Amino acid sequence: MTFYYEGQPVEAYEGESVAVALYAAGFDSLSWSSSLVRPRGLFCMIGKCSSCFMIVDGVPNTKTCREPVREGMRVERQRGWASPVASESVELSELPEVRIDTDVLIVGGGPAGLSAALTLAEFGLDVVLVDEHFKLGGQLLKQTHKFFGSVDLFGGMRGFQIAEDYVKRISSNPRIKVLLESVAYGAFRGGIVGVASKEAHYFVKPKALLASTGAQERYLDFVNNDLPGVIGAGGAQTVMNEYGVKPGERALVVGSGNVGLIVSYQLLQAGVKVEAVVEVLPEIGGWFVHAAKIRRYGIPILLRHTVKEVSGNGRVEKAVVVEVDEKFNPVPGTEKEFDVDLVLLAVGLEPDTRFAMQCGAVARWSPELGGLVPLRTLDLETSVPNLYIAGDSAGIEEATTAIIEGKIAALSIATKLVESSKASKAREEMDKLIRFLWDVYRASPLLARARKGKESVTVSREEMDKLRVEFPPPISFG
Amino acid sequence: MGGEVAKKGTIIICRCNDVTLDDLMKAIEMGIDDFELLRRYLRLGFGPCQGRSCIMIAARIFARATGKSLGEVLANYKVRPPIVPIPTKLVLRGVKK
Amino acid sequence: MAAVQGFRKTGVVGLEDLSALGLLPPEWRLRKGPVVVLECPEMIPCNICVPYCPTKAITMERLIDLPKVNWDKCTGCGVCVAVCPGLAAFVVDLSKEDADYVTVPHEFLPAPKVGEEVVLLNKHGERVGKGVVTRVWERNKTYVVTVKTPKGLGMEVRAIWVER
Repeated sequence: MTFYYEGQPVEAYEGESVAVALYAAGFDSLSWSSSLVRPRGLFCMIGKCSSCFMIVDGVPNTKTCREPVREGMRVERQRGWASPVASESVELSELPEVRIDTDVLIVGGGPAGLSAALTLAEFGLDVVLVDEHFKLGGQLLKQTHKFFGSVDLFGGMRGFQIAEDYVKRISSNPRIKVLLESVAYGAFRGGIVGVASKEAHYFVKPKALLASTGAQERYLDFVNNDLPGVIGAGGAQTVMNEYGVKPGERALVVGSGNVGLIVSYQLLQAGVKVEAVVEVLPEIGGWFVHAAKIRRYGIPILLRHTVKEVSGNGRVEKAVVVEVDEKFNPVPGTEKEFDVDLVLLAVGLEPDTRFAMQCGAVARWSPELGGLVPLRTLDLETSVPNLYIAGDSAGIEEATTAIIEGKIAALSIATKLVESSKASKAREEMDKLIRFLWDVYRASPLLARARKGKESVTVSREEMDKLRVEFPPPISFG
Repeated sequence: MGGEVAKKGTIIICRCNDVTLDDLMKAIEMGIDDFELLRRYLRLGFGPCQGRSCIMIAARIFARATGKSLGEVLANYKVRPPIVPIPTKLVLRGVKK
Repeated sequence: MAAVQGFRKTGVVGLEDLSALGLLPPEWRLRKGPVVVLECPEMIPCNICVPYCPTKAITMERLIDLPKVNWDKCTGCGVCVAVCPGLAAFVVDLSKEDADYVTVPHEFLPAPKVGEEVVLLNKHGERVGKGVVTRVWERNKTYVVTVKTPKGLGMEVRAIWVER
């Protein structure tokens, strides 16, 4: 199909996002920044940042990573943010306002949200599942590697295959209403959540709510860290694994956690030369087997190194890497240059807790979990009654624990909303799963850091009751 | 990476509003010792991504520069709706001409 | 603070480490014919190799334990090479006089063909020679490739690269 970029025809495939189609066509910059007028290319590719905002069919500030291509659409670059339009030209909403009363609203259709939705539906509860993307699956969609675990935890399946399996079961389940290209933009008094979509402006009133809103890439400070070609590792995964577009020719990967190691392997699979993985710590961050997978194809992992500067004309052409001392200060004279057109940031993820925090959930800083995360009970309820969290938005861990947490939250919600005989079955299953998660799964020393973080933000029911008195929730659901 | 590197080129902290590391360091040197004040002064987190790119990196730099813990720095961080950009027309009401 | 294990700095696990963890097949077993080498030195919460092993040669008490191989039961069939999510299972056959045989997982295109000459890579990604592909099969997009390597490289070669 054909669409128009600043008047020029661009060929694209159906099912591609506008941002990916432009990138595949060789357009590195999608916008200019607001005051310094610097070119900005794609960065997160999952609707978290603002780098891909463009004017689409006259509508400014359109997130083009979430906008599917349509025949004949017109796309233009914008500078900064669109100015307010004159009042006479304001187009008033003709979207219907629709009120939905439901048992459970799930915000975010990644691994946690998907597993929760199915579990809730199995207990006969009605679910509204909202996701910003034009397809369900969250970041599972771009996981082409096989997952660890046991067979009943999808171990051995590739991430996107797990998503396919869930989506198949969810789309045929009449109890689950899926709202795609829809954003839950806020919760309001009376426990009503506003959801903006292309078809309607929804006001959803749930009896319980699960915020499984995922995470965003941690940003890093180095010279020209916004130059097109500096992309979040996850963003590059979206480009190559979800859409099959080669993200560049030669890459430098910053960070050797599992994300950095896995993305390096996937770059190799996509035919991109990975010059090096740099790691600021004196030890590889991720699991050994992921490191071994790239080492045996000759990708060097440079410990105690970081990126200092990138440069290029409108796109990364060169990256300068430097050694650091024990205090992480650059050691002068140790600079190494790499001719690369891609610098991927894999320096950690930060939980996207904005939905839960806007609802008033009491949060605590946890370095192990990557940021401010809501305090929660063992069954994942926050200080806002009937508001649950699961997955990376509850603190960075990994997809399998997200699936388990989604299920635990769903079972806890079920204990409250279904009749007593089924409720006791839900409780039994939930207790079993909580024991498995903490005593079996998280017993792995590889998860010790995440476990420590999760312990630090998990409180007893009694402590939670006290918190609710001390910090009365401004909103409640139910 | 600190001020020494900043002098050699632009380091962006907030991608939405083009706040640089230099802006941040100058504000701290000026005496801003409260993160919420800093946020309001530099409009960190006021752009359409609502702080998803900048808050944590800014908080880390601020904590390092002021010797505060990140828990302290973020103690008063609040999130207000809309938490994601939505079309203005969705919430506008009026009479059509 | 405990010393960082060598393989956590290099991404390369040595034979001494594997031996200490009970993951290295004993001498007698290596002489007998094809056998698995599970280069899985960390306690990953994963047991996929256990249910898939057709001879029940791999066991694990807890999900997070290191795999334990019964060297009598292992036939070196290579099913674990295909299913291991960490791509950490290999089969080596050091029993032949003229050459060694190594079976590795391979997830790159083009798919290697039987009879084709390929580049042999060690754990550091260094080219250590050339070998000939003797068997290829596929399971869920992972190719399981057996290569004939020069004698003495059986414990070194851990990947192949197809150059066409």
